[in-house]
Amino acid sequence: MTDVRALAAHLDGARRDGRAVGMLSASEAGLDVPVAYDVQRAGIELRRKRGERFAGVKMGFTSRAKMVQMGVDDVIWGQLTDRMLVESAADVSGLIHPRVEPEIVFLIGRDVTRAADVDTAVAGIAVGYEILDSRYDGFKFTLPDVIADNASASGFGVGAWHSPRDVANVGMLLEIDGRVVQTGSSAAILGDPVRALRAAARLATDAGIVLRAGDVVLAGAATAAVPLPKDAHVRVTGAGLGSVEVTT
Amino acid sequence: MTETATTAVEQAADRILAAYASGTPCAPVRDLVATPDEAYAVQERLTTTWLGEGRRLAGRKIGLTSQAVQRQLGVDTPDFGMLFADMAVPDGAEIPAGAVMQARAEAEVALVLEHDLTHERHTVADLIRATAFALPAIEIVGSRIRDWDITLADTVADNASCGMYALGNRPVRLADVDLRLCGMVLERRGEQVSTGTGTACFGHPLNAALWLADMLVRVGRPLRAGDTVLTGALGPMTAVAPGDVVEARIDGLGDVRVAFGQESAKEEDAS
Repeated sequence: MTDVRALAAHLDGARRDGRAVGMLSASEAGLDVPVAYDVQRAGIELRRKRGERFAGVKMGFTSRAKMVQMGVDDVIWGQLTDRMLVESAADVSGLIHPRVEPEIVFLIGRDVTRAADVDTAVAGIAVGYEILDSRYDGFKFTLPDVIADNASASGFGVGAWHSPRDVANVGMLLEIDGRVVQTGSSAAILGDPVRALRAAARLATDAGIVLRAGDVVLAGAATAAVPLPKDAHVRVTGAGLGSVEVTT
Repeated sequence: MTETATTAVEQAADRILAAYASGTPCAPVRDLVATPDEAYAVQERLTTTWLGEGRRLAGRKIGLTSQAVQRQLGVDTPDFGMLFADMAVPDGAEIPAGAVMQARAEAEVALVLEHDLTHERHTVADLIRATAFALPAIEIVGSRIRDWDITLADTVADNASCGMYALGNRPVRLADVDLRLCGMVLERRGEQVSTGTGTACFGHPLNAALWLADMLVRVGRPLRAGDTVLTGALGPMTAVAPGDVVEARIDGLGDVRVAFGQESAKEEDAS
């Protein structure tokens, strides 16, 4: 019998110590996808008990290439807390092997009690970035491992909100210290980030979580993630959506 | 140029022309030509041959505009090839099987000029003034070199691996589109196979076109009013197979598609 709470505490300790650990799946034969989400939920519960508040959800494996690479046919999701939100400076010294990727972010304007209502609940759209930091050695994991690890969530930042609009094919840039390191289109996010938003609503609702006014949905990455170094200036730009910047 | 070098250039051109004639890819030509200048001399020989056959020069293509591809070939500049009018197809057209050897497709911004660009050195202002409008384009690249086994010299000699191209139908003025941040999606049979943006093309499609304009003056075939410039891929290219339909959508510029014909039954199969 898998001890969900012990596994969650193990990963939580790794995160707080900034220390990589081996994959849970190596020793836990019972770690399938549903159990992995139980571990993820138990990990969030630990953070909630320390005063962190739910802030939204993040979607993972939203690119076709990544799904094929992982051998999966659905997206994964993780939970965001208010402590993960970065304003303009991110301290990466306590992280294990952080990466950053450009994202499209949705702002929820009213509670989503039915997943089908999520489109009309969107109050704003922005460019953002996600800081990823797998708690596993070498950033390597199986599907249940990464789900248990809250989809490698670490931090996120959001640019200025814009009124809801078509974001199916927004050109996006990721710059580090003023140099373009990744270019792409929001179309890499399931063909249209709106599909990731709908998947987020479906998965959250199925898990008994209500997306509330003020929550955010990180729809997924428009390009591959890149290592996030110390003392770096990072900027994500999206056509018509402005930019968001962070220094480390 | 020495007599030996001329011979090598001729031999390389003959090898590539034979591949076109037979429809069978040939060995690389890097055993005959090594430097970019020699490779462009081969390309010029092809151009002269084709112009002599009555083909109409309709524009140029820029290749090797992405950092990833430049790194792959160990170069830090783009290259260019010649576009002839018979290489262009309209939006939605079907390209017969075998029309382009070892075909691949990529999405690009096409610029159509209304003024000549004949200065020794052009500014972006010159280029913007000379551009009538932009169009979305799909370039069907191909290689006459077996298995795409190419170095810079091979691809330059082989007309920059040019095949055919499809242009969209709605002209857009440069003032009305952000060519740096335009999102690009390329789909094959409705499945997304590539995404990107204008920055992936040499920083900006106009930067690539500016490089081209200066280069072409240097080699004596400057861009002229009416010419089409395929500025370079906005994201990774895709392989294509008979029966495929490939569609490109470029945000702010529109969309364009091209179909690939089924292989016709070969005579030996029928017998």
